[in-house]
Amino acid sequence: MSGIEIDSAAVPEAAPKQGRQLGPLQRFMLSNEFGLIVLIVVFAVVFWTVSPMFLSKFSLYALGRTSAVNIMIGFSMMVVIVTGGLNLAVGAIGVCAAMACGWLMQAAGMNWVFATLGGLAVGGLLGAVNGVVIVRSGLHSFVITLATMSIMFGMMIFLTQAESYREISPVFTGFGRMKLWGVVPPMLLMTIVVGVLLWVLFTFGSLGRQILAAGANPAAAELSGINVGNMVIWCHALSGMLAGIAGFMLVSRTGAAIPSMAGQLGQDWLLPAFLAPVLGGTLLTGGRVSVLGTLLGGFLVTMLTGGLLLMQVGAFWIQTYLGLLLLLAVLLDLARRSYLARNKLV
Amino acid sequence: MKAPVFEAGNVTKVFPGVLALDEVNLKLASGSIHALLGENGAGKSTLIKIMTGVHRPDGGVMKIDGQPFSPHTTRDAISSGVGVVYQERNLIPQFSIAENIFLERLSAKPLQRIDYPALYADAQKWLDLLEIDARPETQVDKLNVARMQLVEIAKALSLNTRILLLDEPTASLTQHETETLFGILNRLRENGASLVFVSHKLEEVQEICDRVTVLRDGRNACESRALHGLDRQDIVRLMIGRSEQIPQWNQRDISGDKVALDIRNVATQDGHRDINFQLGKGEVLGLYGLVGSGRTELAKALIGAGNVTSGEIRIDGEIAKIGSVADALHQYGIGYVSEDRKGEGLILIHSVLENAGITVWKRLKNAFGLLSDRAVVNSVDPVLKKLEVRTPSSRQIVGNLSGGNQQKVSVAKWLAANVKILIVDEPTVGVDIKTKAYVHELIRELADSGTSILLITSDMPEMVTVADRILVMDEFELRGEIVNDRNYDLVSERIMHHIHGSNEEAAE
Repeated sequence: MSGIEIDSAAVPEAAPKQGRQLGPLQRFMLSNEFGLIVLIVVFAVVFWTVSPMFLSKFSLYALGRTSAVNIMIGFSMMVVIVTGGLNLAVGAIGVCAAMACGWLMQAAGMNWVFATLGGLAVGGLLGAVNGVVIVRSGLHSFVITLATMSIMFGMMIFLTQAESYREISPVFTGFGRMKLWGVVPPMLLMTIVVGVLLWVLFTFGSLGRQILAAGANPAAAELSGINVGNMVIWCHALSGMLAGIAGFMLVSRTGAAIPSMAGQLGQDWLLPAFLAPVLGGTLLTGGRVSVLGTLLGGFLVTMLTGGLLLMQVGAFWIQTYLGLLLLLAVLLDLARRSYLARNKLV
Repeated sequence: MKAPVFEAGNVTKVFPGVLALDEVNLKLASGSIHALLGENGAGKSTLIKIMTGVHRPDGGVMKIDGQPFSPHTTRDAISSGVGVVYQERNLIPQFSIAENIFLERLSAKPLQRIDYPALYADAQKWLDLLEIDARPETQVDKLNVARMQLVEIAKALSLNTRILLLDEPTASLTQHETETLFGILNRLRENGASLVFVSHKLEEVQEICDRVTVLRDGRNACESRALHGLDRQDIVRLMIGRSEQIPQWNQRDISGDKVALDIRNVATQDGHRDINFQLGKGEVLGLYGLVGSGRTELAKALIGAGNVTSGEIRIDGEIAKIGSVADALHQYGIGYVSEDRKGEGLILIHSVLENAGITVWKRLKNAFGLLSDRAVVNSVDPVLKKLEVRTPSSRQIVGNLSGGNQQKVSVAKWLAANVKILIVDEPTVGVDIKTKAYVHELIRELADSGTSILLITSDMPEMVTVADRILVMDEFELRGEIVNDRNYDLVSERIMHHIHGSNEEAAE
């Protein structure tokens, strides 16, 4: 990157006020992602000291599988948060897509490839519906997705008669039980691949940059020739597909598509959905995204939940600790950012 | 000079890596309007923030009536009688005028019922004093900018403010509103208030102020000096350390040029009717009009961000169908530099590169929709260099740049896209003298190199300096066209004639 060279001696009234310059390593160490890595290491050590079981192959494999799903749920929310909105229907859409996939396999007798593609299309379509309604009505995504969460989940229960689909393709269930090198679930690799694709989208993709611009300042983006409405619709459609993938992962893990797999109205997904991107430093007001942060955030949340379970603290305490973690991480990030701003390092 | 009401002695403020204020002095007298001047980054805002308790000084003392004054919060400053009216409105839009004025004192106890009749009666007194033509129960977002500003002044005065700081109070006011404001400020001065007037408009400073303090690079270039006897050139010299170079631009011959943009009988959903004009290739066509006359709305309709309901737009002779800003940009090469730099022009939390490159992504992406950073840098860098955007790197967040440099970035994105027609809306509102001159030269250079420019401004000197021809807009209609012969008095008189002449007709 060539940047602009300014000879500060030649232009006395020069450049913006700037503190010291940082090397890439220092920059990384001041980043939110580094903070998350530190937290992950610290908690891992704590759990391992308390219960050496924590680092056993079995426990690590379980951690990998659960975090793969949680991170995917986080991605699903993340791609909507970058537009400055949110998607309360991630869980509902995820379950709908998974149930559609299950129905295609069991009732329609499709092979797993087409069933998966069909489920993915359902997820994307439901997301796109959210997007279109939000853009057309001009209402906040909070209201719209709160309503569609109920509608979609209700329709799904009506259509499936609240029955599960258990005749899942063995390819599908085999994928959920597979172990690579004894500990690594392929699901986690899949999540990482999706993460890399998202990272490419937001870093090098013309579409990704347009999305970020539209999220950061819709008026400015619109006046620069970006169709902000389309960007919002794309993001919701993408969010629906990612929620669908998370749903398929659950199906492949449990071997069945169950209407209650994400709790009533899919609400069980909301905590990881928000925790992962917010811990990861994705700006709630839109326009800034960290895919790696969401990945680490989702992993941290899952690890904490698993570790606390292993330490046999009561299930209700876990919720409390997760809440505390969110506060702690957000406060740490606040401190970090005000430190950067004070020293004009941003 | 009488004993000062307020005194700042050797006030120093250090931000990491930069000395923002270096032993600055300021004395304010009662019954005075004191101009606080300086280029962007000279330290005016820092000084104001120290006076109002937002920042703490690192050295020096402040006194009010001879007593030490060291506010820790804005609340402290207010209780000592120091108030500020910022350029950005600090009112709650959904609340009434009265509620806004008495916001912190709506009732004596937190849970006590608010006595609205009394509140409105109290507010009415302030409205009368400031001659605000509105009812106290009116919701603030129903007011125009000028009245909102007066409500803010009322709010400050109702808090027993004796020292009132006004930060660019006229930036978004029309000439008439400015005169009204000045009448009020004059009366406040006669009543013994001490006002500080921060502005880039030196004509106004000379009209209303009696004393002046100029800051340059965080130091006093002059301190609390009588304004009498200083002419514009003296003040400019104090501000920028050298004389102002006023360009003497010649009349350009544009008669033989091709028509780039031809507007015929255009009407819009905003209420424009029968808009007809032609913009020549390489011409600077001025569009003069007061705030609210429909200039910005017309510009937005032309670039596809508003709705043209009838009429014809021809570009290079061909009928153009502009359905969106993307059409305007990618098919017809029209760009629009917004008057609202922070709200519509730039994405402040993104980098210089992202902001300047936003218009070229579509052109540069490969078959997979991916962009190489190098391609973007290659098309943006020459423009940033040409405009002399001062930034440590093109990765710098735009929000961290100075106002002038931000303005350059908001122009750069259109130049990067190589637009043929550029609509420039109020390009120098709130920018300092040096940048203003620079922007004018830039517009001129662009026109010389063949870009057609529609310049929207309500700044008369700017119009006379830069435009080749001037259209006058009022109430969403074009009232007339003037050939600019660079004679300021004549041109401004003709413009005003077009606006007021038409008003009289309308009244009949």
